[in-house]
Amino acid sequence: MSPVTENSKYALSLRGLVKRFGGVEALSGATLEVERGTVHGLIGQNGAGKSTLIKILAGLYQPDEGVIEINGIRHERLTAREVEKLGIHFIHQDRLLVPSFNVGESLFLGREPRLNRLPFLDRRSMRKRAQDILDRYFNLRLPANALISELTTAQKQIVQITRALLDKPSILVFDEPTAALVRREADILFDLIGRLRTDGITIIYISHYLNEIEALCDRATILRNGRDVASVDPRSTPASKIASLMVARDIGEMFPKVATTIGAPVLTAKKLSKAGKFRNVSLDVRQGEIVGLAGLLGSGAKDLVRVLFGLDTADSGEITIEGEQGRPRSPVAAVAKRLALVPEDRRGDGVALGLSVAENTTLASLKRFTRSGFLQRNAEHAEVDRLIEQLAIKTNGRFAPVRTLSGGNQQKVALAKWLSRKSSLYILDEPTVGVDIGSKVEIYNLIGKLAERGAGILVLSSDLSELIGITDRILVLFRGSVVREFRSSETTPDDVLAEATGALTPHHGEERHVG
Amino acid sequence: MSADIDTLPGYTSGNGTGHIVRWLAGFALRGGSLLAFAALLVFFSVAAPFFFTLGNIGNVLGQSAILGVLAIGLTIVIIGGGANVVKGGIDLSLAANLGLSAAVYATLVSAGYGDGVAIAGALLTGSLIGLVNAIAIVVFGIVPLLATLAVMNVVAGLELVLTQNTVVSASSDFLSLLSAYGPFDIPVLAYVLVIFTGIAAAIIQFTPLGLRLYAVGAFPEAARAAGLPVKRMVAGSYVASGFCGGVAGILSVSYLSGSTTGAGEMLLPVVVTALLSVVFSRRLVPTIGGTLLSTLLVGFLTNGFQLLNISSTLVSGIQGILILLVVAATSLQRGKGAA
Repeated sequence: MSPVTENSKYALSLRGLVKRFGGVEALSGATLEVERGTVHGLIGQNGAGKSTLIKILAGLYQPDEGVIEINGIRHERLTAREVEKLGIHFIHQDRLLVPSFNVGESLFLGREPRLNRLPFLDRRSMRKRAQDILDRYFNLRLPANALISELTTAQKQIVQITRALLDKPSILVFDEPTAALVRREADILFDLIGRLRTDGITIIYISHYLNEIEALCDRATILRNGRDVASVDPRSTPASKIASLMVARDIGEMFPKVATTIGAPVLTAKKLSKAGKFRNVSLDVRQGEIVGLAGLLGSGAKDLVRVLFGLDTADSGEITIEGEQGRPRSPVAAVAKRLALVPEDRRGDGVALGLSVAENTTLASLKRFTRSGFLQRNAEHAEVDRLIEQLAIKTNGRFAPVRTLSGGNQQKVALAKWLSRKSSLYILDEPTVGVDIGSKVEIYNLIGKLAERGAGILVLSSDLSELIGITDRILVLFRGSVVREFRSSETTPDDVLAEATGALTPHHGEERHVG
Repeated sequence: MSADIDTLPGYTSGNGTGHIVRWLAGFALRGGSLLAFAALLVFFSVAAPFFFTLGNIGNVLGQSAILGVLAIGLTIVIIGGGANVVKGGIDLSLAANLGLSAAVYATLVSAGYGDGVAIAGALLTGSLIGLVNAIAIVVFGIVPLLATLAVMNVVAGLELVLTQNTVVSASSDFLSLLSAYGPFDIPVLAYVLVIFTGIAAAIIQFTPLGLRLYAVGAFPEAARAAGLPVKRMVAGSYVASGFCGGVAGILSVSYLSGSTTGAGEMLLPVVVTALLSVVFSRRLVPTIGGTLLSTLLVGFLTNGFQLLNISSTLVSGIQGILILLVVAATSLQRGKGAA
């Protein structure tokens, strides 16, 4: 690549990017301009277009419209190889390191030092150079023969950053780097990013956590619905302002909240802890009550749900279900205690694509339709038809294979499967992800009806307007602890987001305890 | 500053029991296998006095040469394709490959061609079979287990066509040289095995190519991110394996003074040997050196049984059990969400 010819102020300038997938616009005119030598934050809710933007920068997607300029030089299209030549490197969430390799092998894979001019590996030089560079950048001494599989998440990340540094990058992109780190490890990372900045490397930092953006970034671009809605100085802009910029404000009368009678507790959890995931979480869900759980990736919300449903075991704490104490030891035990979980990945976990709508719908509740060992087809089909109508599932009848349905409708079938089973507590993980607006309302109605019938409902959703709209109460988790409980009628998405992103939690606060 | 993470706290991930099970499995595999090997040697030495003599050890090495060369081929495929038993690298056509390559060699020699032509013919046959495997797997995306199973049957059929299901006997200077005894009264085949292992180990364990092959097999995304041509390397591993089949074919002709109709019986021992190689490495990955050790283990097992006059049919039962044990232990050790 030619050296920087023009002394452009921007290391990177992406302007007016548009990217469509089929009929959907993932980006509709997004601009990201990053000044040389700065740390630039990129924030936005799920689906705001962050990952599409980054994939365009990585040369993985080609934009439909827009201008790409790197170091003042315009590029019509980028390929992954060109991006690397331009000195742009990515530190991904998933660490691309071979578990059975040692540190030196991982650092030099693909550009191994050779022994003299022979075609053999110079293992000693690999080991020595690995130690030198780790020592210099990170003051980190790893045993020479340590395998990647024996390292902590933070150490693996450091190995990956070092791999990128060996290429003398000009721009480093961190994609949600702290999602899997505990606070102490995150602090080390922040320290490192500060030093890289001093070395003149331009850094793009993608995160959900507003407190990190505030602590690290010189500037931040906020994406919403595929557009950049603002570029701000996070140090002088209040976190609540940033949070409100992130949240869309087109909430209509989408959320039909039915008044229900709230009864006895269905589920009570006391002081549940699981090392590295969450700590001292207490919650209860009552009959007829809809409780929301809000928390970002790494907040422990998903892990909590797994424990409640018996997919994982907690280290300590108690769970009481309908007055009966005892933690479910397995999903089978949880179902026996009349719990139902609708997982987020419903296409993967939830439906059998080859089976019909009817078969899928009653798969989890066949017992209901069985008399003396035989299936009562009529009763089964009546229930299936009722659910098809209630959820507005678009299908060519109950016998159509689920494979022939659209993605959103497949999700509704998965939902129907658990709803056809009478349970006393429903745990719904992102119940409306990937579903069109009309169907969302149907799903909300159905959730309301379940509550009316006296079931307790626990909802996880990253759509905060939805969460506030359909729930009675919301618990917010941040890095493993419940930091706040809101009455849904008295809160706004901004407030919830501010708590969930830790904007209100001081950055150098009490250290999170992780075992 | 970052001084607080400068020591490595051993194993850090994993939870409670799963972690312990994995650790135990790893320990049992690594330490246990060497111990079992040693115990086996001691037992046979005591039970059969002739067992622990230079002559017998040389014989075992010589008799194991064919198995060892094939197992090295399979090991290369497992390294490059990953150790997942179902989706990973596997070459079931290796034993049939040996049969066809041997038949080609024997047929060429008995038709009056020189050793040079016959050697080239056998090696080419083996490599071509590997190439067919590579195309089926890399180009058409067929699961290796199925692709090589199909190729195995085709190759076995071709061998029948070529030999009319008879033994084609062959003799030549080169064959006599291979089947003779070398220095210290040790069979030449034993030396061949050691040299072949040495070359393969040099390439796989000590060159960048070998390191990259490990990366391709263990974590293709990481290899791709490092700019490596993943598909080409996987294809290459199957061609290399086919080449090993050709070499083993030549050795087999010298050992049996002709082609063989029973090559298919080699399949189980080859799979055992290659899978077993994992337990002889610190990282629990297949290695060439580990393959040599497991070749010897299987060889000594067979030899010991013969010396004790125990039916050799028992050996294949034991080999089957070994496969189950090794696969079970390595799966436990990896755990569900390893890496």
